[in-house]
Amino acid sequence: MKAVLITCNQAYYEEVVAIMDGLAIRGYTYWDQVRGRGSKSGEPRFGSHAWPEMNIAIISVVDDGSVDGFLDELKKLDSQREALGLRAFVLPVEKAV
Amino acid sequence: MSLYSSAVKKPITTVLVYVAIAILGLFSLTRLPIDLYPDIEQNAIMVITSYPGASAADIETNVSRPLENVLNSVSDLKHITSESKENISIISLEFEYGIDIEVATNDVRDKLDMVTTMLPDEVENPMIFKFGMDDIPILILSVTADQSFQALYKILDDKVVNPINRISGVGSVSISGVPEREIQVYCDPYKLEAYNMSIETIAAIIGQENRNTPAGVMDIGSNTYSLRVQGEFTEARQMEDIVIGSVDGKNIYLRDVARVEDRTEERAQETYNNGIVGGMIVVQKQSGGNSVAISNEVIEKLPEIQKDLPSDVKIGIIANTSDNIVNTIDSLEETIAVTFVLVILVVLFFLGRWRATFIIALTIPVSLVGAFIYLLASGNSLNIISLSSLSIAIGMVVDDAIVVLENVTTHIERGSRPKQAAVFATNEVAISVIASTLTMLAVFLPLTMITGMAGVMFKQLGWMVSIIMIVSTACALSLTPMLCSRMLRQNPKRGKIQSAVFRPIEKFLDALDRGYGTMLDWCARHRWAVVGLAVLVFSGSMALSPLVKTEFFPTNDNARVSIDIKMPIGTRMELAKELASRINDRFVEDYPEIIEISYTVGQADADNTYASLSDNGSHIIKFNIRLTSVEERERGLTYICDLMRYDLANYPEIVTYQVMAGGGMGGMGGQSSVDVEIYGYDFAQTDAVAASLRERLSGLESCSEVNISRDEYIPEYHVEFDREKLAMNGLNLGTASTYLRNRINGATASYYREEGEEYDIKVRYAPQFRTSIEDIENIVIYNSLGQGIKLRELGEVVERMTPPTIERKDRERVITVSAVVAQGYALSDLVAASSDILEGMDMPSGISYEIGGSYEDQQDTFGDLIILMALIIVLVFIVMAAQFESLMDPFVIMFSIPFAFTGVVLGLVITGTPLGVMAMIGLIMLMGIVVKNGIVLIDYTRLCRERGMGIIRAVTTAGRSRLRPVLMTTLTTVLGMVPMAAGTGEGSEMWRSMGMTVAWGLSVSTLITLVIVPVVYSIFEGGKIRRKRRRSLKRIAAAAE
Repeated sequence: MKAVLITCNQAYYEEVVAIMDGLAIRGYTYWDQVRGRGSKSGEPRFGSHAWPEMNIAIISVVDDGSVDGFLDELKKLDSQREALGLRAFVLPVEKAV
Repeated sequence: MSLYSSAVKKPITTVLVYVAIAILGLFSLTRLPIDLYPDIEQNAIMVITSYPGASAADIETNVSRPLENVLNSVSDLKHITSESKENISIISLEFEYGIDIEVATNDVRDKLDMVTTMLPDEVENPMIFKFGMDDIPILILSVTADQSFQALYKILDDKVVNPINRISGVGSVSISGVPEREIQVYCDPYKLEAYNMSIETIAAIIGQENRNTPAGVMDIGSNTYSLRVQGEFTEARQMEDIVIGSVDGKNIYLRDVARVEDRTEERAQETYNNGIVGGMIVVQKQSGGNSVAISNEVIEKLPEIQKDLPSDVKIGIIANTSDNIVNTIDSLEETIAVTFVLVILVVLFFLGRWRATFIIALTIPVSLVGAFIYLLASGNSLNIISLSSLSIAIGMVVDDAIVVLENVTTHIERGSRPKQAAVFATNEVAISVIASTLTMLAVFLPLTMITGMAGVMFKQLGWMVSIIMIVSTACALSLTPMLCSRMLRQNPKRGKIQSAVFRPIEKFLDALDRGYGTMLDWCARHRWAVVGLAVLVFSGSMALSPLVKTEFFPTNDNARVSIDIKMPIGTRMELAKELASRINDRFVEDYPEIIEISYTVGQADADNTYASLSDNGSHIIKFNIRLTSVEERERGLTYICDLMRYDLANYPEIVTYQVMAGGGMGGMGGQSSVDVEIYGYDFAQTDAVAASLRERLSGLESCSEVNISRDEYIPEYHVEFDREKLAMNGLNLGTASTYLRNRINGATASYYREEGEEYDIKVRYAPQFRTSIEDIENIVIYNSLGQGIKLRELGEVVERMTPPTIERKDRERVITVSAVVAQGYALSDLVAASSDILEGMDMPSGISYEIGGSYEDQQDTFGDLIILMALIIVLVFIVMAAQFESLMDPFVIMFSIPFAFTGVVLGLVITGTPLGVMAMIGLIMLMGIVVKNGIVLIDYTRLCRERGMGIIRAVTTAGRSRLRPVLMTTLTTVLGMVPMAAGTGEGSEMWRSMGMTVAWGLSVSTLITLVIVPVVYSIFEGGKIRRKRRRSLKRIAAAAE
């Protein structure tokens, strides 16, 4: 089991959910309106006067086998519209109830 | 959930909400009455008190003065004026605008109750009258007749007045210029004397003979019959056979001493329409009625009425106020349509996309239509003010939608799906959209609080624009994002034609952006030079400001002229008639613009309310002229009036004349005049001052006509009875004067009845026996013993001069000299010239003067408006300071305001337009409009600074990125005003100066703002950084020690 943490522009929400539906990934948790800044490039998302845009965060726990396919799809999505910005991080899930 | 996200999620609801608004708005539009001006509340009350037999001076001392002293304490009173003439005192109370006239009326009534006991015994109870805009006739019809002229009054009364009166909303209909039928019994005084008869006996006999008497009821057999004597004359000629006495056993018939004529009353006004004798029918509406609807209904009914009339009686229209209203409203509607198209073209030019343009354009009708709901709900009408508010608003309602659409487009271009982009992009700009609407509200809501004359006019404008702005903001935050999410495409494809048209435009705009960026960069590096130049431009334009002329309201070309001509007092009506017909012929020949010309001569009958309200007399001629509509003629109304004045000045028999452009409807739209009020008790002194002032004013080029309010002394014949001689002959003054009156004015003996109408039967001397003083002296007066005494034995007939009406204003005797402004000059020119003259004149002690009239109103209104402007500037500053949470940034933005003045001064001087109330309103609106550009610029510059850019880079980046939205919103507003500024339709004089003020002020201010605001910003921001640096240096130095 792996947890995939996706932080991306608000505009991606529906598309990310569509990808998960396509891969039969059911469970996820979603935070609306999160702020942050990329490590290298891209505009910060602070919801402030200077940087008015906002991000969202989605965490989804998936089977190990689905991780790569999921990331590929996300990568494809990001490369279509780089200005919006989408990052995904895979974390190990040690235990679950 | 926010407004815009729910709007995007529920497109059907959103669309239907706006459809509902549109339907309600259009429904309201069909229900709205049409009028020229908003409802102007009455602010005047007249108190009329009669004191029979008292002279003007007596009336002044015994009636007018005590009443004035008491009424002066009524609250909110602005001016109290009075006219004291023979028998009557008329006091007019003028209140501040906006007061409750009912409360004022009650106040006046209370005060009158207090004072009536102190008035002389014979004074009748004072009557209170309210006179307002509603009393101005809405329709004046002309009637011409040939053979039917003798019976015209009855024909008109039955067949025209009654049907018109039945139309709902019609207040009163009066006939003027048509004499009423009267049976005249013309007696020969010599024959009367020979038979020892008098007018009184004949009148009494006729009264006794002309009777129907019910004699009661009687039973005959099984029936009951009424008994009756039917003695009334069925034909006027029957009267000649009445036996009035007998001499030597022979009957004397009425025909032996008199002749009976079935004709019309003797003294009447005569009206000529296009040179043909006829009459006038004056239609007034009920208060609150819809002028246009009522006069349309009357006009629709005319063909039907015409059918019932004898073939020689023709009805025409002399004046129809609704014509002017309809034409004015039409030309405004045209202006609005042109504005709408222009605004759409500007949006299309900048955006280059049909769909985007459609989304923006859709906000215009939706927001405008919303305002109709307000108009209906608040009981207002479609009028000049409400429609010009729409025209003003068109250019501004798109601003918010443009900002939203622009940001949505940016998001879509960066890759967002239209649906999400619409929500998030709207969210980002929502605050600044609301803030910019608030600055507009800071301008327009205070307009609703103006008092005085301007308040009445601009309350509606303030509300209308405020409501339109609010609706447009709501629309920009819900309908626009919804439409964006549905209609915008991620990769819009362009057709060939589209690219061919828009590619060059885009190239041009890109070049403009670059050029502007380079210029800003240079300016930001040469800050003080730019500031110096700006100061120079501003002070240079202010140096031009003395050239700006001022006025109150422009003269409205409503194609109507009315002229009052006075010949020497006492001139016979026949002479006046002859002169009038000569003038009529000359005018018809010289002025092909005339469609309808009618004139009235003679003394009005006392029961003709409309005519008796105005000045009338045998020596007065009144003309009413209707010209072709303004679009169809080359010569302007004021020019034609000036030519007419010139013509009239060449008739030596005319003493004074008054040519009133606009038909003397008073108030706004008429020709403006400078009224010099000369206060002083002594008649001779004030008359002399007025006469010399008139002479000097007439010499001015800027003055086309001078009128003095006080008439001359009126020559009259007085019969002075010697009371002792009267007493010796067993007579008294009352009997003697009644005898006199019955012989000259006539005694009403009885009424002749025909077809349900009653006509007076008048007994008096035949006209040829009352033409000289001897005729009066020969009148025989009988005493109770039946002895006849000649009038010359009882007293004498002398010629006397009666003093004219005594006018007072604010409890002092006043004489008003009013000078009309000539074509090509403004009110301020004439005011300056007349003040110079007045200063150069030697005023006798105890005489003071004041300049009133349009000038006083103008000064009052301008005073109000300037205070309002200061208030608005403060409010706008507060709104901006709250938005930026800073005092410096709004201060920087405020630098665009002085250049609005520069633009206005330039515009007014170059086009030679005077600064009137409408231009002032334009100037006030500018305060809110010009800062919008500054807000957009500074907001983005701050954003760039926050993103870490240096001052100069931030300024240039912001400038380049915001140039298009600034130009776009400015162009929509400026082009929205151009059709108003360039309007030539009927009534366009009214709003032309407002459109021009806004267009010039905004254009010049925008051009300068685009440079000066970034420069001033960099100066302040640079100063801030330097201060910070110095402080930290100090701190470091302190730490080092």
